Amino acid sequence: MIRIHPTLGCTRPGPAPLAALAVAAGLLLGLGCDRDQVSHATVAKEAPAPAPMAPAHAGGPQGMPPMAMPPGTMPPGAMPPGALPPPPRPTGKGALKWSLPKGWTEAPGSGMRYATLTPPGGGKAEMSVVVLPGPAGGEAANVNRWRGQIGLPPLEEDALAALRRKVPSRAGQVAVYDFTSLGETRTRMVAGLLATADGNTWFFKLMGDAEPVGKAKPSFIKYLETLHLD
Amino acid sequence: MIRRFAVRCWILLASLQVTIVSLVLLMALVVLCTLAQTELGTLGAVNAYMRSWLVMRQLQGLPFRLPLFPGGALVGLVLVANLSAALVRRFDFNPRKFGLWVVHAGLILLVAGEFVTGAFQMDARMTIEQGQTVDYLESYHQMELAVSDLTDPAHTEEYGIPDSRLKEGAVIALPGTPLTLKVKRFYVNAALSPRGPNDPPSLADRGVGAGVTLTEAPPAASDKEVNATSAFVEPVAGGVSYGTWLVSTVLGAPQTFIHEGRTYLLSMRPRRTYLPYSVTLRKFSHDIYPGTDIPKNFSSLVHLSNPARGEQRDVLIYMNQPLRYDGKAFYQASYGKGDTLSVLQVVSNPGWLLPYLSCALITLGLLLHFGTTLFNAIKRRQEQEAV
Repeated sequence: MIRIHPTLGCTRPGPAPLAALAVAAGLLLGLGCDRDQVSHATVAKEAPAPAPMAPAHAGGPQGMPPMAMPPGTMPPGAMPPGALPPPPRPTGKGALKWSLPKGWTEAPGSGMRYATLTPPGGGKAEMSVVVLPGPAGGEAANVNRWRGQIGLPPLEEDALAALRRKVPSRAGQVAVYDFTSLGETRTRMVAGLLATADGNTWFFKLMGDAEPVGKAKPSFIKYLETLHLD
Repeated sequence: MIRRFAVRCWILLASLQVTIVSLVLLMALVVLCTLAQTELGTLGAVNAYMRSWLVMRQLQGLPFRLPLFPGGALVGLVLVANLSAALVRRFDFNPRKFGLWVVHAGLILLVAGEFVTGAFQMDARMTIEQGQTVDYLESYHQMELAVSDLTDPAHTEEYGIPDSRLKEGAVIALPGTPLTLKVKRFYVNAALSPRGPNDPPSLADRGVGAGVTLTEAPPAASDKEVNATSAFVEPVAGGVSYGTWLVSTVLGAPQTFIHEGRTYLLSMRPRRTYLPYSVTLRKFSHDIYPGTDIPKNFSSLVHLSNPARGEQRDVLIYMNQPLRYDGKAFYQASYGKGDTLSVLQVVSNPGWLLPYLSCALITLGLLLHFGTTLFNAIKRRQEQEAV
């Protein structure tokens, strides 16, 4: 169900020719305002929300951004932009395996996500697993993308080493970062990335309100230690 | 002196000459507008010639545009004023002129109807895949910077800033949120490509836009082209800048940021109008004549759901048989994705009846006038014969 709210005032008059008709001026100016208003609607979610955790440069190996259509060629009836095909899911030996920490639940991912894991204890905290072919923009770009998501300024590449925690696993070493946003309701993000021998890059991101994420962090680190390919 | 001038103006305004000149100008505008469609597209030509005060064109060598012809709005306004003045000036209760009054009223209504259509007509599309449920319309021409609050697991708060407000330097506050959007650049149309090693740094420092080179492009001229509308915007909340992001109708990657625990998604998309009901595409059919590839019929079997009115029903939309609902007509317009996607054109025009009404009035008025004249002529002849 949808609730539609006309909102905000109008900052410019309606179409000039219409204003000249004195009788219709009020109506038409009102219409002009309506067309310029910021619209607001509360829409029920019927499908899973677009994955908000797609790493940078997800569209191609050379950092090509995902593009819905070349400019100027989208037919009027085409699918709306945003329909990004998910990357191929690794199978067999390329599929990363793990042991689920006690009390955690796992759901298969959709779209860009490989899997979604939820820690116990309630509160707003969720972990996503995403896999992309190639370096997917590199470590610095992804770390800064993560920081940008919670309003933190980007870092120089040299500064990453001091913030990086290396977590060993049988699949390789996971570079883990821990960031907390500013503000009254703080969002915490513990995120790691792992480049596997077959050329894929795996992203693990535990994110949510600072308190439940803090509680889940030790289990998250243990989870990373269980990663393996064989 | 002033009074005499005013009287002369009044006489001129109510004169038949102004009527004739206005009608000739309107005819010329129709021809010019039709020719201009090859260069400007249908909507561009209508806006430039018919819905403008003056037809402005840029001549070679001049840095500014010049008014070259009166626009349809100006001519229409003069015609309405002329016809109204003529009605008032020549007003008398002589029943023999009743037909002419009706004709004048019909003409005024015809011109006024175009103003109503220009102001109130809504023309949009609804794109649905088989099995999909859609509860919004998309504008053909207007875009919006959408900010979607994804935080609630059950609902999405959708905010749409129309492209008409996306001016460089504009600062737009989103009501009910702590967010303010600063518009750094806006492009009606642009070409986007991956940023090369020799390209200048992007204005965007967050999201996929940091790796994109954007070049401004002229607005789409023909009806077959669609603008790649793009903007660089900086969300600010609680005094914190969330960086500069590139949003474009041709960028598909979701771009989000989190403020105070709320997740916001930024995108540029066709302007949406949400409906209090939804339409589900059950089946799209593309029928052809047996043994040929010649299309016979396109149809969409849709399910209309309006819980507020307790309505749940299936409707078959096919060529020239639209679904008429809630003051809107849903026409079968296009299809795609291997005949699994249907595009409905949705039209709403509160003034749709006015042209019919005005034509009926003009016809009635002419019949009355000619009938009265004929009756009087026959009566005069009979009187002469009687003498």
